[in-house]
Amino acid sequence: MSKAQPAALSAALCLAALASAAPALAHHSFAMFDQSKRISVSGTVKDFQYTNPHSWVIVTATGADGKQTEWGFESEGPSTLLRAGIKRSSLNAGDKITATAFPMRDGRPAGSLISITKADGTVLTFRAGPPPAGVAVGPPAEK
Amino acid sequence: MRAAAHGGTRMTWKTLPDWTGLWEHTGGFNFDPQQKGPRATAQLTPEYQQKYDKKLADIAKGIQWDPLSYCLPAGYPRWLLEPFLREYILRPEESWLLTEQNEEIRRVYADRRGHVPADEAYPLWEGDSIGFWDGDTLVIHTKNLKAGQYQRNQPDYSDQATTVERMRKIGKDQIEDIVDVYDPVSLQKPWHVRHIYRRVTTPNLRINHWSCEENNNVVQTANGSTDFLLPGDKGYRDPNSLAPPPAPAAQTPGAQ
Repeated sequence: MSKAQPAALSAALCLAALASAAPALAHHSFAMFDQSKRISVSGTVKDFQYTNPHSWVIVTATGADGKQTEWGFESEGPSTLLRAGIKRSSLNAGDKITATAFPMRDGRPAGSLISITKADGTVLTFRAGPPPAGVAVGPPAEK
Repeated sequence: MRAAAHGGTRMTWKTLPDWTGLWEHTGGFNFDPQQKGPRATAQLTPEYQQKYDKKLADIAKGIQWDPLSYCLPAGYPRWLLEPFLREYILRPEESWLLTEQNEEIRRVYADRRGHVPADEAYPLWEGDSIGFWDGDTLVIHTKNLKAGQYQRNQPDYSDQATTVERMRKIGKDQIEDIVDVYDPVSLQKPWHVRHIYRRVTTPNLRINHWSCEENNNVVQTANGSTDFLLPGDKGYRDPNSLAPPPAPAAQTPGAQ
């Protein structure tokens, strides 16, 4: 993936300062994510990789200029997602969604997934347990 | 210890406690769940304090790397606080303490054998654990550990670390593990912590094979921190297709 140009995307992008960082349940550091911000990207699910050590949701978003960008959103592995009520069948290729995530620091089109809102209004929260203090897992604070 | 417990409790299949089910760690990612603030509660030796100070300073600068990202085991005692599913399989003469992550299994021998002789011992991810039952409490002594870190934001320990644990069920849905770490290289005094594991009640949940290589595109950056290879990047491994392993050297995310 090349660096995304947020202004060129029809995907709704929003950045909101957050009071504190989320704890990582990952097998890797979260150093590559900017946990003081979040983004919101609307698009179509290309693939839901329900895998270890992490699951990924690959989303195709189309910009105002018609250019498509492939976004990758990382989440936890299957057993953690199952504990959060998210099944392999919860997302399917072709689903229209809006993903909220902590963005990459370097601006590439990826992030650490917080939640996904499906076209029918269903919200999938990709974090087990309550959100960390200061981290809103609802709609973005501003657009 | 066994003498203090009057030789320990001779367990049979009928007298073993029931620890069946799935369990998960509670209390976050600090080795001492009672930690307040950003610093671990351990009283470190000057050398390990200096290492820990540098680690925290690097984290503050956004530089952090975890050996788990190369799919290495967490290793014990970090094993105690990993957030994955756990299962405890008790037998009178040996207990298996499992986490799903990397299929890490601790084997605790309670058949009165000693540790592996010193001239045959070598550092192990989970160490060499022997134990005995003191009533319904499994007392475990562990040594021969690989040096490691308690967690990404926690200090390091040396391969001289040994531990004593007292594990018991403290209710239908909780297991307690009281741990004392002794490490003359890294600690000025033993580190005493208490961990609680709660029963997982998610329907249909089971521990399955956990392959860390299944979808791992984490790479170390030139400055020692962490990044991803994304679809389209050179070296990216698509989990939907077989792919060659990545080059061992640090790669440049975003390179086409």
